[in-house]
Amino acid sequence: MNKFQTTYLGIPIKNPIVVGSSGLAATIGGIKKLANAGAGAVVLKSVFEEEIKAEAEQTVGQQLGMDENNLEFYDYYDYQVKNEVLENYVSLIREAKEAVDIPIIASINCTSYSEWVSFAHKIEEAGVDAIELNVFKLPFGIKDEAAEIEKIYFDIVRKVKDRLKIPVGIKLAPYFTNLGSVINRLSHSGVDGLIMFNRFTSVDYDIENDQVITGKVYSNADDFVNSLRWISVASSEAGCDLVASTGVHDYRSLVKMILAGASSVEIVSAIYKEGPEVIGAMLKEMEAWMERRNFGSIDAFKGRLSQGESANPEVFERVQFMRYFSGHKH
Amino acid sequence: MNRIIEKEFFSENVVRLEIDAPRIAKARRAGHFVIVKVGDTGERIPLTIASSNPEKGTITLVIQRVGVSSRRITELEVGDELTDLVGPLGEATHIENVGTVLACGGGVGVAPLLPIVEALKKAGNRVITILAARNKDLIILEEQISAYSDEVIVMTDDGSYGKKGLVTNGMKEVMEREKVDLSVVIGPAIMMKFAALTTKEYKVPTVASLNTIMVDGTGMCGACRITVGGKTKFVCVDGPEFDAHQVDFDEMLLRLNGYKEIEKGAEKEYLKSKDKK
Amino acid sequence: MAVTKEFLKEEREQAWRVDIRKLLKNKERTSLQRVHMGEVEAGERIKSNIEVNSGLTEQEAINEAKRCLDCPDPTCITGCPVEINIPKFIKRIEQGEIFKAAQVLKETSALPAVCGRVCPQEKQCEAKCFYQLKMKKEPVAIGHLERFAADYERESGQISVPKVAASNGIKIAVIGSGPAGLTFAGDMAKNGYDVTVFEALHEIGGVLKYGIPEFRLPNSIVDVEINSLKQMGVKFENNFIVGRTATIDDLKEEGFEGFFTGSGAGLPRFMNIPGENYIGILSSNEYLTRVNLMDAANPNTDTPIISGKRVAVIGGGNTAMDSVRTAKRLGAERAMIVYRRSMEEMPARVEEVKHAQEEGIEFLNLTNPVEYFADETGRVNKMRVQKMELGEPDSSGRRRPVVIEGSEYDIEVDTVVVSVGVSPNPLIPSSLPQLETTRWGTIVVDEEKLQTSIPEMFAGGDIVRGGATVILAMGDGRNAAASMHTYLQDKLNS
Repeated sequence: MNKFQTTYLGIPIKNPIVVGSSGLAATIGGIKKLANAGAGAVVLKSVFEEEIKAEAEQTVGQQLGMDENNLEFYDYYDYQVKNEVLENYVSLIREAKEAVDIPIIASINCTSYSEWVSFAHKIEEAGVDAIELNVFKLPFGIKDEAAEIEKIYFDIVRKVKDRLKIPVGIKLAPYFTNLGSVINRLSHSGVDGLIMFNRFTSVDYDIENDQVITGKVYSNADDFVNSLRWISVASSEAGCDLVASTGVHDYRSLVKMILAGASSVEIVSAIYKEGPEVIGAMLKEMEAWMERRNFGSIDAFKGRLSQGESANPEVFERVQFMRYFSGHKH
Repeated sequence: MNRIIEKEFFSENVVRLEIDAPRIAKARRAGHFVIVKVGDTGERIPLTIASSNPEKGTITLVIQRVGVSSRRITELEVGDELTDLVGPLGEATHIENVGTVLACGGGVGVAPLLPIVEALKKAGNRVITILAARNKDLIILEEQISAYSDEVIVMTDDGSYGKKGLVTNGMKEVMEREKVDLSVVIGPAIMMKFAALTTKEYKVPTVASLNTIMVDGTGMCGACRITVGGKTKFVCVDGPEFDAHQVDFDEMLLRLNGYKEIEKGAEKEYLKSKDKK
Repeated sequence: MAVTKEFLKEEREQAWRVDIRKLLKNKERTSLQRVHMGEVEAGERIKSNIEVNSGLTEQEAINEAKRCLDCPDPTCITGCPVEINIPKFIKRIEQGEIFKAAQVLKETSALPAVCGRVCPQEKQCEAKCFYQLKMKKEPVAIGHLERFAADYERESGQISVPKVAASNGIKIAVIGSGPAGLTFAGDMAKNGYDVTVFEALHEIGGVLKYGIPEFRLPNSIVDVEINSLKQMGVKFENNFIVGRTATIDDLKEEGFEGFFTGSGAGLPRFMNIPGENYIGILSSNEYLTRVNLMDAANPNTDTPIISGKRVAVIGGGNTAMDSVRTAKRLGAERAMIVYRRSMEEMPARVEEVKHAQEEGIEFLNLTNPVEYFADETGRVNKMRVQKMELGEPDSSGRRRPVVIEGSEYDIEVDTVVVSVGVSPNPLIPSSLPQLETTRWGTIVVDEEKLQTSIPEMFAGGDIVRGGATVILAMGDGRNAAASMHTYLQDKLNS
């Protein structure tokens, strides 16, 4: 028996390390490298609805003639861009399925259901094993009510599951008013897995030049704590696989996530920093740990320290430092 | 222009026409087709160029009477002109010496298969040809295609000629007994669909020549669109030949029915008007 | 700039024009109402292909011409892509010299009867008319007047065929017989060149014949223009696809020294949404080609057309208008435009939209199709659409259509015409690898000279611009002819 066997969105995978959506899996060469390095599954680089729209808009703005005399030509140009992007993605999927034998997962970033229908249909036909859906509306729409935002997520999930036969996972952002509740309800909505969490480009300031710039691109080893908390809280009651994402850089955080209740983890930054060999290294070290601790399989320790199982669950509920410092005298 | 200089009946419903068309004759390669229109009110229809003679400046079309437009063409006589003739269209067949080729022609599909078989044989391939049809009367061009085949197998549904069975039976027999490097299938869409499924089992690369509805034939209208490998392609400019294992035949079959009722009605009218004369 | 301020001033100071200006005071001119051109009544005209606009009578034309103030600084000309000397031709009409008016038009525009009918004057010359700019009143009906003068000449039978220079024996090949190619051919013939126009289809005229319907631009008018060209010595070969029937190299061997590519934007585009390949869903190119080129609506022709009772046309440009109005004439009970933006943002000509509304076309704005469904025979029977709202302007300046989540609903349809734009025809570029093209498939040309990366080949019209207007194509044909003439003469003399 394969001691690393586990599942991702309900699909059996040979080990819990899944390469998350990034430029690492944008080409067939990249995908093969990851498969050869031992990845349990690979999530392809995302297709972004926003990117397509932005490219189309830019072209239209540049190419629109005097008096908009060629407006008819450019009016629906975004569909051209979308078709090109989708065709390339479909080709990549077909090639990948022939080249490697680990599951290939498509990743789509959309903000509306209608875009979904046209994307998902084609991608499923191409033979992909599952779809990871990033539905994200950053709650900057000041007027958007929390309940309305949540409803959109549930609506999209329901409609997408209705349409597709392959497993669907939702990559969540940790920005909900009642995150625990959303996670729990979504996990019972028919979705096959929740990936926690999506990591956003952070904003920073260049204080010498008064410029808004993007913050650090790669995660640090300490960034895993938020995912750890919420997976621990949610896993015993969850109705689907939970996948940990953000800040998993070495075997320790990998093990911690599984102890919290995740069935697999997504890694990206670790591979960018140390190369795909980090996959094999992490598995080896986890293997040694499993032997030390006498665990013969992933299932043997999955969820062992989740909130539902742990001896001191109230630690999860302390969000502030209060208790830790109360025993110290200043 | 486009004068018919020779006409021959291969059978009651299959006619060979040799047409004066020097430019097309010179530019033509195996697999190319032309669009033909007869009369000012005629329809534009695609027909594969069966052969060409660049020195003589002529092309040969083999036409089976299946509807009004093909009937109009086959009723022309030597000396008549085709009102409109344009070509050569489509992408030429990719001809290479691959080893052993299994060429399968279903019914009227044998006509466009003939030039491809000829070219493949001349390129040095071992060519096994299967001709298939419902019954003996629908088997055409056997003599002509034998000239370019190492072996010819005839299959009829009712056993009235050759072996009894479907083209796929014949194909399996061949692929079981020897290694086949390439298969070319041309015929009714349903036949090509099942032929492709058969060769897929044996992992034999297969090319199908598709026969969709066309209007202009130059890539302008999209009437001939099909889905290949998840992408939209136009048979008139990207084809007519495609990787048969990637073609969505079910969609093609669906679209082929688009005008069935209208065509049946039109043919009835046409034959009625002929009877009156 | 072919037309200089000095030249215009000179023309304006001619005696005849000064006299005409003196006939009426400006105040009298501006008090006149803009003429309203007769139209066939909507309920009547949808029963046939009769041309919708009836044209002006001579008296109506002269009265309208009086409104023109013959401005010292004619801003109208700045709105014309080919800089027709607008005040001059209008004043000739006021003078009663209609033939002379037609000649003024023909100095710049090769197909004035066509332009008078299809130009979007409301965005071009008329948008820059003094009345519009300074007085916020209805502009002079420049388009109607252009049509009048051209039709007058055509109907009289006394069509002026431009003088042709002595033949210089140099063979020129024109690829495509649409407005760009025809204009180019005419100008080169005038300069004495031996011109042959090669057309892929069996009819000459390109989009003028297969694209624009009879009720907007009768094919007979296009034929008159083509005959003029034949009289000038231009040769036409139909059923000839350059790049397939013969290559550019073949033609060079046959002695052709100059090439103009005006092969247009004839590749259809689809949205690639689920169900788009069901029976009964066609591109606007297919729909219009069947009806306009193959006369499919006529029971005595062989080509069939599928056009049902509930027809949805997706898009908002002139092609969409042409398609939906054709559907109405083919008996649709519901002929609908489904466009994802608002009425004001539709690219179609204002007049076409107005005529469509009169004809009972339903406009479903801020609506976008998402999916199609079919019956058991594979024929489309339902379309799922989504409502949109206008959001913030995007980087092109237009307000972007934003999906209203959860607003999907279904509409019963039996025919759908997808009219979301076209792409450049790939035949020529694919047969000439050394021809530089853009990522949109258009041919790259020197902006001034319209010369391509192949020195002896020039190009213009939609194949260079992406789908644009007839008048721009004509302007390109004109400029390219002047450029090629210079190029060839320089070559000869060097």
